[in-house]
Amino acid sequence: MEKHMVVCPYCGTGCKFNLLVEHDLVVGAEPLNGLTNEGFLCLKGWFGYDFINDTKILTPRVLHPMMREGKGAPLKRVSWDTALDFVASKLSAIKEKYGPDSIFVTGSSRGAGNEANLAAQRFARACIGTNNIDNCART
Amino acid sequence: MSCGVPGMEDAGCLFLFGYNPNTSHPLVARRVVKAKEKGAKIIVADPRFIETSRIADMYLPLRNGSNVAFLNAFANAIVTEGLMDEEFVREHTLGFDEWWQTIEKYTPENTRDITGIDPGMLREAARMYATAEPSSILCWGMGVCQHLQNVEAVHTCAAIACVSHQIGKPNSGVAPVRGQNNVQGACDMGALPNFFPGYQKVTDPEIRQKFADNWNVPVEALSGHVGYKVSDIGHLIDDGKIHAFYNFGEDPLQTEPDALHLAKQFERLDLFVCQDIFMTQTCAAADVILPATSWGEHEGVFSACDRTFQRFTAAVPPKGECKHDWQIFAEVAERMGHDMHYRDTQEIWDKECRAMWPGAYGATYEKMEGLGHAQWPVPTLDHPGTPDLFLGGAFTTPEGKAHLIAHEYRDPTELPDERYPLVLCTVREVGHYSCRSMTGNCAQLSNLAEEPGYVHISPADAAARGIKHEDMVWVYSRRGKIITRAFVDDRANEGAVYMTYQWWVGKCNDLTLHHVDERSHTPEDKYCAVEVELVDDQVWAEQHAEELYMELKGRLAENANAQHEAPALS
Repeated sequence: MEKHMVVCPYCGTGCKFNLLVEHDLVVGAEPLNGLTNEGFLCLKGWFGYDFINDTKILTPRVLHPMMREGKGAPLKRVSWDTALDFVASKLSAIKEKYGPDSIFVTGSSRGAGNEANLAAQRFARACIGTNNIDNCART
Repeated sequence: MSCGVPGMEDAGCLFLFGYNPNTSHPLVARRVVKAKEKGAKIIVADPRFIETSRIADMYLPLRNGSNVAFLNAFANAIVTEGLMDEEFVREHTLGFDEWWQTIEKYTPENTRDITGIDPGMLREAARMYATAEPSSILCWGMGVCQHLQNVEAVHTCAAIACVSHQIGKPNSGVAPVRGQNNVQGACDMGALPNFFPGYQKVTDPEIRQKFADNWNVPVEALSGHVGYKVSDIGHLIDDGKIHAFYNFGEDPLQTEPDALHLAKQFERLDLFVCQDIFMTQTCAAADVILPATSWGEHEGVFSACDRTFQRFTAAVPPKGECKHDWQIFAEVAERMGHDMHYRDTQEIWDKECRAMWPGAYGATYEKMEGLGHAQWPVPTLDHPGTPDLFLGGAFTTPEGKAHLIAHEYRDPTELPDERYPLVLCTVREVGHYSCRSMTGNCAQLSNLAEEPGYVHISPADAAARGIKHEDMVWVYSRRGKIITRAFVDDRANEGAVYMTYQWWVGKCNDLTLHHVDERSHTPEDKYCAVEVELVDDQVWAEQHAEELYMELKGRLAENANAQHEAPALS
């Protein structure tokens, strides 16, 4: 069994624990002596890990890029190149037509991490040219 | 937070105001219990008898929506009872006279009709808080922030800490305990319309130049005005101001107020991109879905609620074709002509955060290895980190002094009336989180609680409507009508009902009011008017709720199924 150190993805307390992994599946959690949790975990810390395994209890993971061919058309799987080319060209066209402030980008205040937010805000500011970047701090 | 979570147990008094740690931060609640064991006084002010009320030395059941009247009277009592630290006020604050002109008008006696609090009790609580040794901490949560007068209440909380000198020493001050695991981090890293990483202003030309140089773009390419806030996205689309929405890791159709209306507004976007890990209700409405790696499949740094940076690692490889969020942003940027290629998260952390934010320079990956951590400000490599801010009364304003600001009380926006006689307040529960896409996919957690969730209602309000515990009920407001289950709860106060925002069928955000305050643009999720009604046919109600749930899950599964058909060759 492998053990990998994480910080809990739910609330802002910052509890540290190991994820226990067998055959690429997360099978358990083991509290660590972190600064704030000191070897304890709550209900979500102990039992909130198996969503990673794509259990489909509530809703499935998205594993491949998808797109619609037009408004109202069904979602279809596409290649990464197709999805990224489409997003980039459409954003460039909207920026050209309505200006950079017509585009809004969010950061994520959940499991993505600080580096992902650093990239998101640089993307909004340096690539799009707008300060329309925000996160769900008010939720 | 001006203090650290571990230090909470060494305070002499914890004043929990609109903050329910047992459901929102269970391991912070543990510190509250430890503080009590070490002799601290605990004060709870909350309309509901929350769990911490059981161990509180004083419990003040203020009326929903009366925060600013209560806090003004609390501040008034500190001054009139002679509990103010005049030297601290003189040396370390500005604006006392003007502040007092407003606060003077709000006595515990004349605010009683608004707050419902006995004046003697309020004075006693003020004494307990202001005189506690060695320190008091004023803790709050969304019970302050999601009201019409949220910023006003925060100003007054800070002023209360200042005039009583319960800030500027170890384990003291203000503790707005941040909710989501990295909401502190998203803000720290500049996912805000007014700040670059490290709270550096986008309106400051020198700061803009610094970031332009780091990003190899001309300074003119960076916007010098503050951007929009995400809570305004709906009406910005209506007004033709926003045409494209690149939504990363959020599910606004579950978590934002008046969600039915927001869904219609999203339909008008020219481009709606969702970058997520699950087929959420929001993803199902997108034009493009970009699949990202989940927590557990990537590494990085989180900021805890008390400014502590900690590293987390990847446990399992990415599934399917999922890419890391930062890779996806870099690949779109490259196609749009901006080079932001990175090797790994450490390179991003070093180049985009540590190099650009002096207060985070000492937070190296090495320092945060294993159980290591770094609490900002941490300006040098050998700096130990900073659990307590403003020590000795050194505040971070231009004058180095705290500004005392007071506000008049205003009623909430949508007061109950004959047709909608109950206040709906949205709250948290311990077993599920936010939009529930993560916890709802965990076997043990979904066994413990399932759709359609509950509306908590006082025994008196339930009896008046013929509602028994576990009955199926309608809850409706001016925005919508949903079906859920009644939890007849003697901890709920009369005249108010409580729902958590995890439930997709019993969805409180179909009912909530989308009204934001002028300063922070935070929705008034803690206060709108609703009515609750027993469903006549309980058997039908159970079936109906089940059908709604299956239909919604089925629709999302169908949307997700498309990903298993290989793409056409093009």
